[in-house]
Amino acid sequence: MEEDLADLYENAPCGYLSLWPDARIVKINRTLTDWLGRSGETLVGQPLHALLSFGGRIAFETHMAPLLRLQGHVSELALDLLDADGGKLPVIANATEKRGSDGGHLLTRLTMFKAVERRTYERGLVAARTEAEANAAAEHETAILREQFIAVLGHDLRNPLAALAAGIRLIADRETLSDRGTMIVKEMSASVSRATALIENVLDFARGRLGDGLTLVRSSVALAPVLEQVVAEIRLIAPNRQLLGHFEIGQPIICDSARIAQLASNLIANAVTHGAPGIPIEVEAHVAEHIFVLSVANGGVPIPPAARAQLFQPFFRGDVRRSQHGLGLGLFIVHEIAKAHGGSVDVTSSDEETRFTFSMPAAST
Amino acid sequence: MVLIRNNVNVSGAGDRAMVFAHGFGCDQSMWAEVAAAFERDFRVILFDHVGAGRSDPAAYDPAKYSRLEGYAEDVVEIGRALELRDAVFVGHSVSAMIGALASLKAPGMFSDLIMVGPSPCYVDDGDYVGGFSRQQLEELLEFLADNHLGWSAAMAPAIMGNADRPELGERLTNSFCATDPEIARQFARTTFFSDNRADLPRLSARTLVLQCREDIIAPPCVGEYVHAQVPNSTYVLLDATGHCPNLSAPAEVTTAIRGFV
Repeated sequence: MEEDLADLYENAPCGYLSLWPDARIVKINRTLTDWLGRSGETLVGQPLHALLSFGGRIAFETHMAPLLRLQGHVSELALDLLDADGGKLPVIANATEKRGSDGGHLLTRLTMFKAVERRTYERGLVAARTEAEANAAAEHETAILREQFIAVLGHDLRNPLAALAAGIRLIADRETLSDRGTMIVKEMSASVSRATALIENVLDFARGRLGDGLTLVRSSVALAPVLEQVVAEIRLIAPNRQLLGHFEIGQPIICDSARIAQLASNLIANAVTHGAPGIPIEVEAHVAEHIFVLSVANGGVPIPPAARAQLFQPFFRGDVRRSQHGLGLGLFIVHEIAKAHGGSVDVTSSDEETRFTFSMPAAST
Repeated sequence: MVLIRNNVNVSGAGDRAMVFAHGFGCDQSMWAEVAAAFERDFRVILFDHVGAGRSDPAAYDPAKYSRLEGYAEDVVEIGRALELRDAVFVGHSVSAMIGALASLKAPGMFSDLIMVGPSPCYVDDGDYVGGFSRQQLEELLEFLADNHLGWSAAMAPAIMGNADRPELGERLTNSFCATDPEIARQFARTTFFSDNRADLPRLSARTLVLQCREDIIAPPCVGEYVHAQVPNSTYVLLDATGHCPNLSAPAEVTTAIRGFV
């Protein structure tokens, strides 16, 4: 059978609508009038506005009409048509301008598809996105409060700890102690040092997260004595471990020496915690080709490759004995200090050794 | 900086400048034809409001642009950057009021205001007929929320003029006047809930009100109201219908502007 073009127009599986340049209806097909429950004869000559919801009318004037004039076509517009009872019929519309040979605007043609379920679905998506955004904003707020709390708590814990450390020093220096007493005071001192270091890390973490970032106080420093001091402190805390320091720096480095000390201390403490007790920990620093390099190596079980990628994330803790659990901030802070110095920190790990290497420009300003 | 932020384009030659400002829903391309007619006699200045066209998306500040004053400040900054004095400001739709506010903020910058389809207040208020009820405006905002189809984050670079990725531009179905739907909604809110009736009697610039015969956004009674309230104003009723005579009847608009300036 031949296609009947007049029938195709009237009963097409989509709505057809043609407008004069002043947006009055010239022709409308039966499919569309059936959808709307209106008669075609009464609609011809009426403005398009008669078919549109208020929002659609404004959008037609502010968006579609200008676009049609500018580019001659508009695609995929979501419109609500008004049916005979004033109900809304969601449709997707495409429109083109028919122009004469002189470019004059002759007609505007619209094709419409029903989009009831599609519109419901899309509104659902938009609502879900809005809700997700609201939840994320609320969570962000809570996270900030939590981090502020951590910062305040960490700060307030420093004072009693300082008092404790002073008391312990006083007892060690001035009091006569039994051998057992001397040993206990040493252990207490080591515990206080460890607690102080943990709090410093928590504070740095909170500062970093609260947007202040790590602030550096840079000066030109001979780093070897600074690193010697760090190694000596850790020897005090971990007298059973063998620490080998080897520093050939040769030139002053522009850096925040307190931060570099903190970085070294975190790396060495990490090696003490995770390294095999019988194997010495090597701490090495040198300058080569204008790069300052500090590395800390320990023996023992290598870090699994999967864990390596996450090592520098805050609150990451490897698979260690419970008693050795820290907060998991040490390496994160190392990473932040390296970054603040324009440097980086890398790790290699094999059966022979696990080595953390910090490098930064030696002439950094 | 300002000139990049607002995608300012200067052309033409002449002692006086004529600034064309687009309204809600489009960008400077809607003025292209009319503006070209003035390039021989005027320094022609086209720009996009922040959030529209090829303005700098990073400059969009929801708080600043929740009031028409925010847009007017930008106009003043553009005027200062281009050292405008006694210029002509041609504002379509909401930009008619933005131009009015700019002329109050920077006396001497604009000697002439041409308002095309202006409305100082879209919502009916007592005896004042703006043409809109609040419920109708909410319906408009809902409509804008539904029309996110023409926009996705992937398209943004193309719209912002990313010349190194032309394939993005080709994918655009509606390449003019594309706007982030969220910004469109905010601009709609700022526009249609504005009320600048009290500013009209304070205007000192020569003012031309161009009114379309049939315009559901700014009906003739609103244009007449503006003419009655602005001290030094002329009223011209165009034969054009709809809200965008600069596109549907550019010749008529050009003639009216030329007759005034």
